[in-house]
Amino acid sequence: MSLPVLVVDDSGMSRKLTIRALPKEWDIEISQAANGFEALEAYHDGKAHVMFLDLTMPGMDGFEVLETLQREGLDCFVIVVSADVQPEAEIRAKELGAMAFIRKPINSEKVIEILSEYGIYEH
Amino acid sequence: MNADIDSQSFLRFIVDRVNVGVVVLNKEMEVLLWNNFMELNSGYSSDDMIGKNLFESFSDLPKKWLEKKIKSVFILKNFAFTGWEQRSYLFRFKHNRPVTGNIDYMRQNCTFLPIMNDAGEVQAVCITVFDVTDTSIYQTKLKEAMGRLEEMSIRDGLTGIYNRRHLENQLASEFDRVRRYGGILSIILFDLDHFKNINDTYGHLAGDEVLKSISSRLEAVLRNSDIAGRYGGEEFTVILPNTDAEGAAILAERLRKEVEESEIIYDGQKIPVTISVGVTLLSDNIENHEMLLNQADTALYYCKENGRNQVKLFDKTMTLI
Amino acid sequence: MSIEPYSEDQRDALQEITNIAMGQAGSSLAQLLDVFVVLSVPRVRIVEVDSVPESVEEMVEEADCVTVARQAFYNNLRGETLVIFDHRGCKDMADLMGHDGSLDENAEEELILDVSNILVGAVLNGLGEQIETDFGFTAPNIMARSVPVDTVLSKETLGWSHALFIEVNFSLEDRGFKCHLIMLMPEESIELMRQSLDKILESF
Repeated sequence: MSLPVLVVDDSGMSRKLTIRALPKEWDIEISQAANGFEALEAYHDGKAHVMFLDLTMPGMDGFEVLETLQREGLDCFVIVVSADVQPEAEIRAKELGAMAFIRKPINSEKVIEILSEYGIYEH
Repeated sequence: MNADIDSQSFLRFIVDRVNVGVVVLNKEMEVLLWNNFMELNSGYSSDDMIGKNLFESFSDLPKKWLEKKIKSVFILKNFAFTGWEQRSYLFRFKHNRPVTGNIDYMRQNCTFLPIMNDAGEVQAVCITVFDVTDTSIYQTKLKEAMGRLEEMSIRDGLTGIYNRRHLENQLASEFDRVRRYGGILSIILFDLDHFKNINDTYGHLAGDEVLKSISSRLEAVLRNSDIAGRYGGEEFTVILPNTDAEGAAILAERLRKEVEESEIIYDGQKIPVTISVGVTLLSDNIENHEMLLNQADTALYYCKENGRNQVKLFDKTMTLI
Repeated sequence: MSIEPYSEDQRDALQEITNIAMGQAGSSLAQLLDVFVVLSVPRVRIVEVDSVPESVEEMVEEADCVTVARQAFYNNLRGETLVIFDHRGCKDMADLMGHDGSLDENAEEELILDVSNILVGAVLNGLGEQIETDFGFTAPNIMARSVPVDTVLSKETLGWSHALFIEVNFSLEDRGFKCHLIMLMPEESIELMRQSLDKILESF
């Protein structure tokens, strides 16, 4: 079965850039969400074993998604993809359970490095 | 000759001779470059300065401030500016307006530019110092002139107190303020009794003198927060923020008495003057400031009908005119 | 002059590159003040000249007493930025910089100019990097000082019919501090920006 991967960002362009940065040969099933609410819904539908998550979004932002996942004890490998590049933003995201933090603009080397580090993807 | 070398030497020449101060500092605040403008104005040559800490030669520089500024350029990799309007000068240099300037030192605008290496690290900071003494003198004069113009545009030409336009603006904004944040507001509208007779009997110049005299008495009676002005020919308005009807009526009565007892002398003749005064308080049913004025005007009208030289507070039994 | 509105993709691309640029500016502000800066989603739109003062007014909540720093940027694309601080923002900023209420007027203006220059520099350099433009900047100046927000632009003669209006907000956690950065670019820049955005969109 393909791995369910969810890309969460309010910007369609940004989602496209993230998807383009994912390894081509990776056997995955990609879903997209444009805000926190959609992300949690997709998670509950089983579409998010791995989540690429933006932080600044209207409605429910990325921090709130992380909080909810943590509070409800949900299991998901979250990689934050953020334009908010304050060191404090990375610390907070990781405290809330994010496994990795990628600064925008995203590039595929960084993605592959993180995925390999955690053994999610071997190339 | 090699074209590249040529352009390098051009650049060196220009940086040295351009009529702008150019200084390059490293992180330790040591001077790496000191151009001709700086030499001429400071009296220190490039040889004196290079390799030395800037503060050794210039103990009067704002050390703490400048260090912070330079540090921010190193950390944030971003240019910075300072303008004469906030900080008159960085270096205490003589200026070229010794006679007509009326200022102490050369006014300066400065720019702080990060100089980066290939790795994107800031190596040094370049400070450019522009002499803006002339600009600052013109600007200051212009600002003063604009200030005077603005003041004139809100003053009544004859009496020097506020004019109708300014009064209406102030009243409108006081009205908005009370509606938005709550509070109380009263106004006084008064009118000289039989002013036409004064003009006819003593002449228009005497009439003008009366208006001026009333204006200065008015200003003497008011408190700091009150706003008074000439509303029309012989009509005056006073805006009283944070004042209830009782307070406004007391002030109005004091004013009426002050005028009645005043001795206005013109051309050796004593001119008797009295005023009729309408007072009103802003109540909930009033929709705009014009309506408030209208109520005061109605109270004023009842004074006139009732024999003049008196104060009347608007009440609901009065029919609006 | 009629202006073709940006397509949904163009608007989205501009919002996203602004978002990235804003992130860099927020990080600079965080370093300067040593606090965590809360970022919100930037807004981009094309507005008619008549609605600009209104659009500015809409952004600012505490509208009674604002101070505005203006700065121009130029290359092919050109425009002006306004950084708007409310009264509370000025005070908070002074506190954070260690001036506990002791600032005189000039020192406060200097601080406002410094902070707005840092934000403008970071946002525009961030934007410029992504659209391959190296901006020049004029020195910032105080355009309005402690005035109601509706008077900020009312005295200005705006010599164009449409402008690209980009709005970025910064606020500080646990404080009332809020400042608003507006970039305004006139007509010809709207078209140049459109070309840059198309180039980005074509690249994937």
